[in-house]
Amino acid sequence: MLTITDLSVNYGPVHALAHVSIEVPRGEVTAVIGANGAGKSTLMRTLAGLVKPLTGEATLDGVKITGHKAEDIVRMGVALVPEGRSTIPELTVEENLRLGGMWRSRTDRAATVTEVFDMFPVLGERRSMGAATLSGGERQQLAIGRALMCDPQCLLLDEPSLGLAPLIVTQILQLVKRLATEQNLAVLLVEQNAVTALRVASQGVVLNLGQVVMAGPAQEIASHDELRHAYLGY
Amino acid sequence: MTNFIEYLLGGLGSGAIIALMALALVLTWRATRVVNFAQVGQAMFTTFIALSIQDLTGNWFLALAGAIVAGAALGVVVQYLVLRPVKRADTSGAIIATFGVLIALQAGAGMIWGGDQQAYPQPFNSAGISAFGREWPISVYDLVVIGVTLALVVGLSLVFTRTNLGLSMRATAFNPEVARLSGVRVSRTLTIGWAIAGIVGAVAGVLVAPISTLSPNSFDILLVFAFTAAVIGGLDSLVGAVALGVGTGLVISLVTGYSDSSNAPVVALVLLALNLLLKPDGVFGHTSSRSV
Amino acid sequence: MTNLMRLPGARLVLHAVIVVVLYLALMWFVGGADPLTMSNIALAAMYATAMFGMVILVGLSGQVSLGNGALMAIGAYTLALTSLNWQTVPIIGVPMNGWWAMVFALIGGIVFGLIIGGLGARLKGPYLAGLTLGIAVGIPAIANRFPDLFGGETGLLLTVPFPEGGYEPAVDEGAETGTEAVTDGTTEGTTDEALPTEGEGAGETLAPDDLLTIDDLSGDGTASELPTEGEGAGETLAPDDLLTIDDLNADGTSTDAPTDVATDVPTDVSTDVPVPDVPVDTLPPSTDQADPGFLIEYWQASLAILVACLVGFVALNLVRGRQGSVWRAVRDDPVAAAVSGISPAWSKVSAFMISSVFAALAGGVFAQLLAYVGPGAFPLGLSLSLLVGVVLGGRSSLVGAIIGAVIIVWLPELVRSAAEGRGWDEQVTNNMPNLLYGLLVVLVVLIAPGGIVGSIKSLSAKVTKRAGSPG
Ligand SMILES: Nc1ncnc2c1ncn2[C@@H]1O[C@H](COP(=O)(O)OP(=O)(O)O)[C@@H](O)[C@H]1O
Ligand SMILES: [Mg+2]
Repeated sequence: MLTITDLSVNYGPVHALAHVSIEVPRGEVTAVIGANGAGKSTLMRTLAGLVKPLTGEATLDGVKITGHKAEDIVRMGVALVPEGRSTIPELTVEENLRLGGMWRSRTDRAATVTEVFDMFPVLGERRSMGAATLSGGERQQLAIGRALMCDPQCLLLDEPSLGLAPLIVTQILQLVKRLATEQNLAVLLVEQNAVTALRVASQGVVLNLGQVVMAGPAQEIASHDELRHAYLGY
Repeated sequence: MTNFIEYLLGGLGSGAIIALMALALVLTWRATRVVNFAQVGQAMFTTFIALSIQDLTGNWFLALAGAIVAGAALGVVVQYLVLRPVKRADTSGAIIATFGVLIALQAGAGMIWGGDQQAYPQPFNSAGISAFGREWPISVYDLVVIGVTLALVVGLSLVFTRTNLGLSMRATAFNPEVARLSGVRVSRTLTIGWAIAGIVGAVAGVLVAPISTLSPNSFDILLVFAFTAAVIGGLDSLVGAVALGVGTGLVISLVTGYSDSSNAPVVALVLLALNLLLKPDGVFGHTSSRSV
Repeated sequence: MTNLMRLPGARLVLHAVIVVVLYLALMWFVGGADPLTMSNIALAAMYATAMFGMVILVGLSGQVSLGNGALMAIGAYTLALTSLNWQTVPIIGVPMNGWWAMVFALIGGIVFGLIIGGLGARLKGPYLAGLTLGIAVGIPAIANRFPDLFGGETGLLLTVPFPEGGYEPAVDEGAETGTEAVTDGTTEGTTDEALPTEGEGAGETLAPDDLLTIDDLSGDGTASELPTEGEGAGETLAPDDLLTIDDLNADGTSTDAPTDVATDVPTDVSTDVPVPDVPVDTLPPSTDQADPGFLIEYWQASLAILVACLVGFVALNLVRGRQGSVWRAVRDDPVAAAVSGISPAWSKVSAFMISSVFAALAGGVFAQLLAYVGPGAFPLGLSLSLLVGVVLGGRSSLVGAIIGAVIIVWLPELVRSAAEGRGWDEQVTNNMPNLLYGLLVVLVVLIAPGGIVGSIKSLSAKVTKRAGSPG
């Protein structure tokens, strides 16, 4: 379980996160939703070690991860698929994968590569092609594959649906859900698009101006009209 | 026509040295997106160290080894102490800092070893090779230089494409954040990149010294030629740097042969200016061989 | 006061007052100084002139260029060639003099500033630095390429200027034969062979390189003289390829061996990092033959200060005016600037052009301070020292440029006097200034990117902030 307690982040005078506490249980997807600028990416980047928190901490199965460097946090089992272009177009598909989890043994990594290619057959077909040739959806698959190469216990996904066609979004989110249950991962999923995110999530957290305004079962949040109007704008 | 071939042959050795120095510039550029204008200063300094070892031991290879170790160390020191702490927003700062290092290294070398031109011993035969009943304007030494250059570029290409370290270095160059998130120790990787560049520069210095002379400023013109080659090669491409380095050597040899040597820097400048105007990313830039 | 400043032209008047006060203060100070100090002030004013341009180019417009030493050479050569070859100003027909020569230097600066600026404005950071580095290294080669015009490695010997701004034949005390060569110095042929002669304790003299061989020297039997080692002359730099007189003097290590392309350009001459040692020491001896009351150092200081003040006035108005904001806007965010209607390309070219005009004027002054123009006076080190000075003083501050100029001129003197009595090796003393420059530049970039001026500003801002918030 990933436990976030009292996390605050400032960018100079901007309070991007204020005393955020969230619990992300294993085996299911927890969705963080909120408008643009709510602080969702900041939360993810702080968990991954790219941003230093002002207060608070996060623990994975009781082990404190905040305060460590990004390259150590990923070794501790927390892998982030960042927002936007998170593959390296100049490298081949296979190289993008091999980049993840280099500290692991050769055989373990080979096994994961096979797993990823089973999961995303397109990537296997294009393994020696440049990542630049992939479509948006395939790139997102590759980014998730690279995160899986790190053998994570906890997967952080920052808006994986950004810029993708609705059908692809559904596919990817279904896969994320499957990953959570099959591999018993703690998955934290950030989405602006609340409807799709809450469909696969069991828990939901609504973030506004850096603060948690509501947390609870996904169903409850999806059906909470006032909240939808106030924070999610639909 | 015979002249033409002679000039070409004569340019191969120096072209290989320009190629090596261009390679060093490309390596630091790929690692940290910094053109290390101090590279020739580092090479000059390590070559002086090599000369001191040579004077002590009389062993050319030991001196080369010393230069390689010193080159790696100096690369690490310059990257870690000077370039790493430059504020990211200060885009001019990194360039200015490398010039600061160059000035300091040249002054430091002048302090320790003096400003005079010093001769560096020739390890191999530098006379033209005789074959087919005539002497050719290329020596055993030139062949060694060419061989070393080829070995280095092939070896480095293999490291970059076949090893985890190489993959880390490339990923770090293209997208350091994704590299970190994948678990690459980015700052260490950058420093290793500078160390390798320092080694390549050091080898170039020890190889050029016997056919020129050694003084604190004697490699400056090499910097201009190497920069020209590296930029025309696309700055990102090892193969481009080597090809254009040799090409620059050949062009200069032809120009020097048909007119006189004072034209060489002018020709390099014209090549550089034309290239920057017509094809700012170099002829090997971006898609074609950026990944090597 | 603030209301007053809103009046049209008020800023102009304020700037004029600042500059005039500065000018008068400097002239008053120079009037009471000894000749050595006069020469140093002249040099500092010359450096400041060029560095004002660097402030605009590197500081405000954010283009790191090493080409300004080369642009100084363009100003200097333009001044030398026009004043040596033209008796009268073309078209206008009035007699040529030092002031007109400065006008031509200025025109040279505009032309080459446009050319290099047009090239450079398209280039990003390291590309521009590299191209201009090449230009700085390549300048001696160009002078060598056309020896008939530019005097080759030897350079052109200017005549000693007189107060009215005219030129008279040089009077060389140290030379036995040099005078005639320069007397009819309007024809190129003869001036070419005249070499700079050493003053007292001269720094490095530049030996003829491959172009000037023994044969050349004896060939026409005229006044060509080798660099005569004057009293305590410094090192004479030997050329590389062909055997020349200096090779014969060389201490056993044969310098004629290398024929490799990478090295047979006279790098030794062109890339000496320090401020060329030539200036102070090779200033022509103060001749009182023409006019017993005339002190050449005073004249030179007056010229340098006047030019620096005029250039400073222009720079002040540009930097603190609208154009200054335009440059900063493009430096900080070219896209945003373009969106608000500013042309980033033109902004960069204009910064380049203005800095090269300043550099060319500084070069014109430099030529008159040295009474000599040659590739050895414009090494890569000159460009580097312009960069060093501006960075140390404060990259985007005109006051910083003045501080930088003072540092560049006086630090070597400080080191020299510090070395005295400490028994420092001469090798150490000579290289100490550059070692300090290099280390200081790195330190400034890392710790205080604003240089001395920037640090003082932020320090005083902190102090006033503390004072302003009581309790
Ligand atoms: N690097 C940064 N520097 C300063 N402010 C930032 C930075 N990154 C994000 N912010 C600010 O922090 C707030 C939260 O941003 P972010 O976490 O990216 O929101 P979201 O991902 O929910 O859209 C926004 O107001 C944004 O402008
Ligand atoms: Mg976001």
